[in-house]
Amino acid sequence: MSALNEFTTFVTTSENYWGERGILIRTWDHLRLSGFALLVSSLLSLPPAVYLGHIKRGGVSAVWIVNMGRAIPSFALIVLIFPISLRYGFGLGFWPTAFALVLLGIPPIFTNAFTGVRDVDAGTVEAARGMGMQGREVLWGVEIPAALPLIITGLRVSAVQVVATATLGAYVGFGGLGAFIVEGFAIQDNGKLLTGAILVALVVFVVELVFGWVQRRLTPWVRADLLSKRDPRSFDIVDADQRTAPARL
Amino acid sequence: MTRKIRGLWAVLAVLALLAGACGDDSGDDSASDETTASGDTASDASVPPDGPTITIGTQDFGESAILSQIYGQALINAGYSVEYQELGGFRDLEVPAFESGDINFAPEYVASMLEFLNEFAGEATSDVDETLGLLEEQLSEIGLQALEPAPAVDTNTFVVTPEKADELGLSGIGDLTDDLTLGAPQDCEANAFCLPGLDTVYGVDLSSGFTPLDPGVIPDALENDEIDVAVLFSTSGIIADKGWIVLEDTDGLLAADNIVPVVTDELVDTYGADFETLVNGVSAAITTELLTAANARFDIDAEDADVIAADFLADNGLG
Repeated sequence: MSALNEFTTFVTTSENYWGERGILIRTWDHLRLSGFALLVSSLLSLPPAVYLGHIKRGGVSAVWIVNMGRAIPSFALIVLIFPISLRYGFGLGFWPTAFALVLLGIPPIFTNAFTGVRDVDAGTVEAARGMGMQGREVLWGVEIPAALPLIITGLRVSAVQVVATATLGAYVGFGGLGAFIVEGFAIQDNGKLLTGAILVALVVFVVELVFGWVQRRLTPWVRADLLSKRDPRSFDIVDADQRTAPARL
Repeated sequence: MTRKIRGLWAVLAVLALLAGACGDDSGDDSASDETTASGDTASDASVPPDGPTITIGTQDFGESAILSQIYGQALINAGYSVEYQELGGFRDLEVPAFESGDINFAPEYVASMLEFLNEFAGEATSDVDETLGLLEEQLSEIGLQALEPAPAVDTNTFVVTPEKADELGLSGIGDLTDDLTLGAPQDCEANAFCLPGLDTVYGVDLSSGFTPLDPGVIPDALENDEIDVAVLFSTSGIIADKGWIVLEDTDGLLAADNIVPVVTDELVDTYGADFETLVNGVSAAITTELLTAANARFDIDAEDADVIAADFLADNGLG
């Protein structure tokens, strides 16, 4: 109860919102870093994932290699990369954290995009070829649109992980929302700690909402009534709900 | 269908076995630790003491591990049975661990422990006797007591590189100016011996250039000029190793953070004067110089805390 009171006091004190170490700047820094990391992760993982899915080759080993990245704790990565970042002039805070987050963000994006493109219904692809579509047309006109729900799911899973893990940056001087948690813990200020934790949860919630909205806008053919027909071949972390065949293209 | 379910059962069974094995492992480990600890030494102990196992709480930094081992091995050598319990980095895990009975002994720091217990009231000073008296009052309320403090002091110190000291003409804390950047542990904004103390004692306000950092990464940040001034611990082995300059505390900002063993009343009541004499004898040998050297072996040469502690006891005639 007292922690909740301390939390209320912290978030109703206006000085806590402004300045270098206020809620506003730290939330912005958190979003900035997460967005950057997600963008780089996507750029690094989407092209090879889609290509390998298209040629239906080398995927298993690629997924295996990418998944190894998940086994390395992000905290260890940040601490390992920290001295290297300093030596090459990238400084404290942003870059060492971003590096770890990019690696963390890759596996869900890669695995989902690869699986999505590879597992596009063979009949659909056959029909497209029968209509005279060439490789690239099949990829852009059929396979990618059909895989879009899964690709977006990958981005969404990755975004949630990245936002939640960006808190670790507080250990190397990155002033995101994690700083409230680490400082609150260090000075026994439960209000501060809880503020950080709740804000991170809130940001994650908003990210989920935004991706859900994007997904509905980009893939309107995935309708709610289709969700009941689950695909029995659902794959690993892939959200089975998204794996419904496109009704129209 | 049935085949699938059977497969699922097999997976669950394997998981259960693994979980069971893990549980057994840790149980075996601690049990065997305990028996070897007492078994090895029961023969050569003059009076095998009878009473509870001494469980030493260790915080997650090297010096705490070394101190735990120094006290722990000295006690084992005298025939006590000793276990070590790793705690997190902060005291809000240690005090509840005392209360729940998970630990009954912890190497602590006079001023910092006092400030933690009085909720950062700012009562600690650079006078060790005065600060210890206040600490004992606080401890007695929760069934704990402090034994005699060691001469070694591990307090915050403000450190700069020699290049920076030359360039800016820094020798004392009072020479710092508000425009310098500071890298310090995350509690610095509220710690009476960090930002607030700088302001009240020296009138220096470094809060605009302050970056909160994990203690483990502060030396790297200072070495690479990411920060002008670092807050490090006075017994940190890296200061001498790198030839950094410790800014002089002319006005008595820094606290009497002498090493002090904190124990439960139960331990002292059960084991009595022999126990106190033994622990106080160990404390008396721990000086800032020796502790700094021990930390250097841990941090820079990456030796294990138990080896360093054994050498310390042997070198000081306590082994």
